[in-house]
Amino acid sequence: MGNKQTIFTDEQLDAYQDCTFFTRKEILRLHGRYHELAPHLVPMDYTNDPDVKVPLALIVNMPELKENPFRNRIVESFSEDGQGNLSFNDFVDMFSVLSETAPRELKAIYAFKIYDFNVDNYICKEDLEKTLNRLTKEELTPEEVNLVCEKAIEEADLDGDSKLSFADFENMISRAPDFLR
Amino acid sequence: SDLVSLSAGARIQAIRSLPMPFNERKTIRLTSFVIIHLCNISNNVNFYLNLNFLASARQHLIIWQDTLKEIGGRFGTSVLSYFLFLKWLLQFNLFSLIINFCFITMPQIVHAPNISSITGFRGLELLTGVGYFNQTVLFYGGYNGEVIVSKPAYNMQLAYFFTIAAYLVLCGVSLIYSMSRSFQKNFVLETGPVSGEAWRLLCSWDFSVVNEKAIQYNKNNLAIQLKESLSERLQEKNKMSLSDRIKHLSLHLLAWLLSLGLALGSGAGIYFLGTDPELVKASTLLLPVVVSLINLIVPLLYSLISTIESYSNPRAKIYISIIRSVILKMSILGILCFYWLNFVPDNISCWESFVGQSVYRLLIIDFIFCLLGIFFGEFLRNVIGTMCIQSLGVPEFDIARNVLDLIYAQTLAWIGIYFSPLLPVMQVLKLFIIFYLKKISLSMNCQPPKHTGRAAQIQTVFIALLFFPSFVGVLSMVAFTVWSLKPSDQCGPFQGLDTPFHTIFNWTDSIQDFPESNWVWWIFENILRSELFYYLISLISFNLSDSILPSVCQEGKDKAFLLNKLQNLQKERREMASYRPQVRVSRVLSGLTYFLFASSYR
Repeated sequence: MGNKQTIFTDEQLDAYQDCTFFTRKEILRLHGRYHELAPHLVPMDYTNDPDVKVPLALIVNMPELKENPFRNRIVESFSEDGQGNLSFNDFVDMFSVLSETAPRELKAIYAFKIYDFNVDNYICKEDLEKTLNRLTKEELTPEEVNLVCEKAIEEADLDGDSKLSFADFENMISRAPDFLR
Repeated sequence: SDLVSLSAGARIQAIRSLPMPFNERKTIRLTSFVIIHLCNISNNVNFYLNLNFLASARQHLIIWQDTLKEIGGRFGTSVLSYFLFLKWLLQFNLFSLIINFCFITMPQIVHAPNISSITGFRGLELLTGVGYFNQTVLFYGGYNGEVIVSKPAYNMQLAYFFTIAAYLVLCGVSLIYSMSRSFQKNFVLETGPVSGEAWRLLCSWDFSVVNEKAIQYNKNNLAIQLKESLSERLQEKNKMSLSDRIKHLSLHLLAWLLSLGLALGSGAGIYFLGTDPELVKASTLLLPVVVSLINLIVPLLYSLISTIESYSNPRAKIYISIIRSVILKMSILGILCFYWLNFVPDNISCWESFVGQSVYRLLIIDFIFCLLGIFFGEFLRNVIGTMCIQSLGVPEFDIARNVLDLIYAQTLAWIGIYFSPLLPVMQVLKLFIIFYLKKISLSMNCQPPKHTGRAAQIQTVFIALLFFPSFVGVLSMVAFTVWSLKPSDQCGPFQGLDTPFHTIFNWTDSIQDFPESNWVWWIFENILRSELFYYLISLISFNLSDSILPSVCQEGKDKAFLLNKLQNLQKERREMASYRPQVRVSRVLSGLTYFLFASSYR
């Protein structure tokens, strides 16, 4: 390890390395990206754990998220206040789960949160309709949207409450190995 | 508390996989440290540091990481899988190159140069491999099997034999391992609504794509697929009349007959071309060119033939076209190997070098045709599609065809290793150049394929194809050569022996003189040479596969059965609810217990 960096203490870097799927270099790079989002807001020195949150509007403009149809929901699911304002810990969390090395079970848990627009721990028909609209925009008529969501719930709902609980979602995912690469 | 009982590495992985915010994970981590310290379990801090160091060191060794990310971002995961496959093959060849060079070529060059006749170097030799290259270390003939007299005597015969054997064994093990891992991860039973709306809506979106145009393209595709699937459900499923079914079946049969006929015809044509002495004298390049032309044109004919058939399932179409192409390529290679192993040893002196040169020529011409294919197939087709005939459109990147070409080239490279130890150089260069050219051609000329579902399953199929006809075929060919063919008398490391395998006999006889190495001889005589050993191994492996594979399948089938039963119960319940307001509690409860039972399987 060559140059001594002063952004984090060694204990902090060890904690990041053990609790996320990133290495030290990647965490320092992430900090650089986080700083770029709001240079006057984010301090370069994180050794005393400043309580700084970058607002949603700045984060969804990152090139990795800009075109993602679910960018708002992704950022909201990882924020503590549910409004999409991410501290650096939340930021690292988000990219850790989205990275290639994260296991599928973890991604499934967060994917469920992302698709759950009204945050009631169930994916109901309205959530599916919103998902479909994000994915196809104007190509489908409202009747088609309705039909697709009804069929989807029929197929995946196993406990008969007309909405998808996490168990239903997980069961469906287990039959789809291409999920969330 | 159960984190404490895990090993250090497993504990870190478990902490990372907790679905909690970062601060809570940090607290759990610190708590686990305290508990470990209190229980005085050995301090694993150094181990942590080493793990992390390994992880960051690994990062430096991964080549092409940025390029692959870029490709995945623009074209999606299925096109990326082609490039990952290419990178994986490159690793095999690089490894082979390194060990062949270190253990076989270097000693030969340094201690026992064996160039008996030096002819002048003309450029054409790069294509044909004869002439100047004839007696060099590129081919089998350039090695003599002397025992190099140095401090520890280095037996070239044994080195040649063991290096190639070790490489093939390692390849086989690695292939089996990848195959089983891929199978485990991606094996999904076809029962249930796997092509239904729920799957398409929630699981099929490719999150690795970040390019705006590509995302718009994927959105359009998804909308089209959803509309198609809806319209299929809305119309009544037409029951096909008997005459229609017979018609479809006979069309399928006709298509298969035509394809197999084409494959057989190509095989026969190549055989006669190879054995006709006048043509062979006329041009050594004729045979490779014809083989490459066949490999290029016949798959196009196959896709024409498949337009007369109608498939209920678009994926069945892809799998059948893959099977037909594999039959074609393997029959061509089979005929060539048959010719090389049955006729060449008796008619040509130094026949191993001849075979090595033939393989070299085949590889080079295949490479040239690949370049031409990129130019004509993708670049010109794009120009025609966008400027002249607008209805053709931009060409799609055909993953199956490209991967099968890679598998074919790799089979050739593996065949050639015994006859030409430095052949992997060619293959490594070739794969490098193809990677960059395909990437450039992709960005300039192609668009991603429309039906991208199930990329993971097709990947498993490709790895399985690399193992089963390709690697197993090569292994049997090399084994046959080593076990029963007489090596040529004038050249090569095994000259003078009855079969190359006699090297081992000679070696075990010689070490019988040393009492310390008696155990080696004992192992060799009583275990490796006894048929009982192989019988036991085959019994064990068949038993294992008999018990493991069916139980995995059975587990999946049970789960699918229970889920289907549950879904039917739900359907019934919904229909019942329109007649009777109260729910049949008992049936739902029994359904739920089935479900709970099913999830406990995992």
